[in-house]
Amino acid sequence: MTARYFGSALERDTVLQKLHFNYCMDIAYSGAADICYYTIKCIPETNARQKLVSYEITIEPEHTLSIGKDSFGALQAYGRVPVRHNRFRYMIDGVMEMTGALYEEAENADKTPIFSYPYGLNRSGEELEKYFNSLKDELEAAGREAKAPAYEKSMILMHRLHQDFAYEKGQTGVTTTAEEAWKLGKGVCQDYAHIYTALCHLAGIPCRYTAGFLVGEGASHAWVEILSKGKWIGLDPTNDVIVIDKHIKLGHGRDASDCHINRGTMRGYIGEQTQDIRVLVEEI
Amino acid sequence: MGFISLEQADRLFWLGRYTERVYSTIRLYFTSADIMIDEATDSYPKFCSDLDIPNVYSDKDDFLKRYPFDKTNPDSIISNLIRAYDNAIELRETIGSEPLSYIQLSIYDMNKVNTKMTSAFHELQNVIDHILAFWGIVDDMIDSEQIRNIIKAGKRIERIDLYARLGLPAKRISREINRMIPRVEKSGLKYNAEKLENLKSLVTAPEIDYYKIVSEAETIF
Amino acid sequence: MPGYDMLLDQTDAVNELLARYGVKFGIYKNGTFNEQLFPFDPIPRIIEAGEFDYLERGLKQRVVALNMFLKDIYSKKQIVKDKVIPEDFIFASSGYMAECEDVTPVKDIYSHISGIDLVKGKDDHWYILEDNLRVPSGASYPMIARNLCRRCSPETFRDTRLQDNRDYAKLLRRTMDNVNVGGESVVLTPGRYNSAYFEHSYLAEQTGSILVSGHELFVDDDKLYYRTADGGKTRVGVVYRRISDDFMDPMNFNPESLIGIPHIYDVIRKGNLALMNAIGNGVADDKGIYYFVPKMIKYYLGEEPVLSNAPTYLPFYEEDMKYTLDKFDNLVLKDVAEAGGYGVVFGNKMTKEQKASFIELLKKEPRRFIAQEVIDFQDLDIIEGNERVARKADLRAFVLMADEPLVWKSGLTRFSRNPDSFIVNSSQGGGFKDTWVLSH
Repeated sequence: MTARYFGSALERDTVLQKLHFNYCMDIAYSGAADICYYTIKCIPETNARQKLVSYEITIEPEHTLSIGKDSFGALQAYGRVPVRHNRFRYMIDGVMEMTGALYEEAENADKTPIFSYPYGLNRSGEELEKYFNSLKDELEAAGREAKAPAYEKSMILMHRLHQDFAYEKGQTGVTTTAEEAWKLGKGVCQDYAHIYTALCHLAGIPCRYTAGFLVGEGASHAWVEILSKGKWIGLDPTNDVIVIDKHIKLGHGRDASDCHINRGTMRGYIGEQTQDIRVLVEEI
Repeated sequence: MGFISLEQADRLFWLGRYTERVYSTIRLYFTSADIMIDEATDSYPKFCSDLDIPNVYSDKDDFLKRYPFDKTNPDSIISNLIRAYDNAIELRETIGSEPLSYIQLSIYDMNKVNTKMTSAFHELQNVIDHILAFWGIVDDMIDSEQIRNIIKAGKRIERIDLYARLGLPAKRISREINRMIPRVEKSGLKYNAEKLENLKSLVTAPEIDYYKIVSEAETIF
Repeated sequence: MPGYDMLLDQTDAVNELLARYGVKFGIYKNGTFNEQLFPFDPIPRIIEAGEFDYLERGLKQRVVALNMFLKDIYSKKQIVKDKVIPEDFIFASSGYMAECEDVTPVKDIYSHISGIDLVKGKDDHWYILEDNLRVPSGASYPMIARNLCRRCSPETFRDTRLQDNRDYAKLLRRTMDNVNVGGESVVLTPGRYNSAYFEHSYLAEQTGSILVSGHELFVDDDKLYYRTADGGKTRVGVVYRRISDDFMDPMNFNPESLIGIPHIYDVIRKGNLALMNAIGNGVADDKGIYYFVPKMIKYYLGEEPVLSNAPTYLPFYEEDMKYTLDKFDNLVLKDVAEAGGYGVVFGNKMTKEQKASFIELLKKEPRRFIAQEVIDFQDLDIIEGNERVARKADLRAFVLMADEPLVWKSGLTRFSRNPDSFIVNSSQGGGFKDTWVLSH
C-alpha cells in the first residue's frame, strides 16, 4: 500500500509546487531485434493543474523520432529503430509546475459521451453490479441534497472501494478487467481505476482513466477523473485522495489500453527479454 | 506505375525461374521417357542425380507418373508449376491479367491429370504451350523494360543452372550466359558484376567446372 | 425487354473465361484454404434507365448524408446533441472508435466506396437492406463478367444499349486521385489467402495501382513508403485498403495484427496520407444506426429520403418493443453486431424454447437487436442445370465519393442458390449476376 503522507490536500492553500520527474525504460534482449516500432506516452500534458516547464528525451539506439498527439490529446513520441539492436532504452527528464488547481475545465463537452459508457477493461459484470447495488441507498441519499451530486457520489464510491478492495501486486495483469479484479478482491492502481470507472458508469457519472506519476512512487500510477458540473476532478481510489499537486498527469482515455506508456512491436530473434522501468518524482 | 517494389522484383525473378524450370524439365522428361521405352537398365536414377533431386521412386512407371504430377513431392514438375503460380498470382497488377491467365491455364491442365494415369503427354504439351505463350505475351504486352528484364534474368539464370547440372557442352552454356548478361544488366536490380565476368571465363576454360558455374549463377543477385 | 438468349447459349464459354482469368474467391473449410469459382449466372438483372435514375438520386443522397454523419460524430456530434439519435446508439456501439476523434480525413471524405444493398419488393418498390461503408467488396465481378460476356456474345450487346460498367476502375481511380496527398496509389491486401484476393489484384491492375501487403509498407518521418527494387523508397499518397480497421496498425489498434503497418494511423493523423475508406466508419453502417439513416438525411440535407428502408423497429424504444413482441412471428430479427448474413433469425422459424430464450435476451439487451418486416422480394430467374428457377437476390450498388458523388451504373446482383434461403452472401454459397442498366 502506498503511504498517504500528504494528508488532506483539500484544506491546503494552493501553493505553486515544482516537481522534477524522471522516467527510464530499459529493454534488453538475449537475441536481437532487427527492427522495432514504439510509441511512448510519457510527456506530461499542460493543463489547468500542471504545466510542463521543460523536458528532454534521450533514446538509444539513436534515431529520429516523431512527436504527435494521441486521440485523447496526450503527447506521444514514436518512431522506428531500423537497425539491429539488443537493447532499447529511453529516458525522459523534466520539470513540472503544479498550480494547485483542483480540476480541469471540461472545455470540450462534445467528448463527454466517450467517457460515459463501459468500454474494454472497465466493463462491469454481475459481481461488480451486485456490489454497486449494495451501495445504491447510500449514494441516493448523498445525491439528494447535494449541490454537486456527481462529486458527492464519486467521493462515496472512492471511500468504499478503497476500503473494500486490497492493494496487492502480482495478482492481476495488464489485461485484467474490472470484473475480474473485483472477483479477486485485490490488485494494483490500474485495477482500482478500472473498477472505480465501472462503478462511476453504473452511477451515471462520466469518468476517464488517467495515467501518470505520483510523488514518491517508483512506478507509474493510475487514477480516475470524474466529471462534475463541467469540471474534471481527479480522484485516486488507490490512495483515497483527491488529485491536486502530487500527481503528474500523462494522459487519459477510456481504459488502461488507451493510456499505455509504452507500446512496441519488434521483429527478429528476440530471445529472452528483460525490462526495467524506473520512475522518480520529487519535489524541488 | 512507379518504381517497382522490392517484393515485386523478387516475385518477378522467381516467376522467371520457375516457368523456365517447368518448361525445361517437361522437355527433358519427354526425351527421357522416350529413351525409357527401349532401355534394358533404368535410367531414371541418373535423371534424378543429374537434376540433383532425391530418387524417391520405386520403379520406372512410378517415376513416369509421379515426377510430373505428384503434388506431395516438392521436386515434381507440378510443385514447381505451383511455385510459379504462387509468384504470378501476386503479380496481376504488375504483369497484367492476360499474361497471368496462361499460368492459370497451366495449373488447370496439370490438375486435369489423374495421378493414376500412365500417360498424360497431351496435358504436359499444353503446359509447354501455355508457358511459351506466357513468354510471348510478356514480350508483347508488358511495356516496362525493367519487368521484362527481371523475368528474363530469372529465366536465363535458371537455364544456366539446369544446363550446368546436366553437364551440357560449354558451347550451349556459353550461349545462355551471353543471353543472360544483358538482362541482368538492364534489370535495375543490384547485382554482382564480378560473377558475370567469372561465368564468362568459366565456360572458356579447358576443363569445365560445372559446380562453380552453378554457384556463380546462383549468386549474381 | 432486351434479349439475352444468345448470351445464354454462350454460358459455357463465359464460365471458361472466368476460370481462365482466375475469377475466384477463397474459402476456408475445416481449416484449409480452397479457391472456388464464384458461380456466375448469365441471366442479367435489368434495370430501366428511369428506374436507375431514381436509384441514383437516392443513393447519392444517402451516401452524402452518411459521410456528413461520420464527420459530425467524430467532431461536434451535433446530431446527438439535437437528440435525433440517442447517445447509446453511437457510443455504446462497437463500430464507434474513439481513436478517430478529431482525425479529419483528406477532404472530409470518410466513405469513399460505399456498397449499398437493396432489394426490390413484389410491390415494385426498392428497399435499402444495409449500408456497407467499411470495405465493401464485389464490384470487380460484374465488371470482368461484362467484359467476358461481350467477348463471347457480341450480338447480344449490339442489339441492347447498356451503360458500360467497365468504367468502374476509372471511377475508382478518380476517387483515389481526388484524395491523394502526393505519392503513389496502392491497394493494400491482407494477402492472397483473403477471400477477395482476386478483386484486390484485379482492381489494382485496372486502376494502375500497386498491390501491396502490409509488410511492404513502412512509415518514416511521418510519411508512408514502400521499398523499391533499387534499394530506395517511394512515397505513398493514397491507400485503398482491404484490411479491416482493427488490423490496420498494431501501434494504434489491435497490437496482435501482423498484416498492418505500424504507425500508419499516426501518418493519417498528421494529414500525410489518404486512407480509403477512413477508419471508424463502422459507426455508420451498424444495423442499429440503419434505422436512423432516413432521419439523418432529413437532418443534414433537409430533404425527404428518396429511397426507403425496410420497415424497421428498434426494441430500444418501448413502443417498438411492444410491436416486436406482438408481431414476433412476422418479423426478422437481426443482431446489430453481426455481418455477412450471420445473426439473422426469423420469428416464425424458431421453436417455442428458442423463442422464449430469444425474447429473454431481447428484453435484457434491447439495444443489440433490430426487428424488420419480412419483405416479399421479387425473385430473379437463374439457370440451374437446364432449367430456369426463381431465387432470392439482392443488389449491391456502389457509390464512390470523388470530387462529387458517383454512382456506378451497374452493381453486383447476388443470389441465393438454395431455394429456401434469403441469404445471398458468397461466403454462404451464393452466386452473382451482371447488372444491366439500360441507356434509355
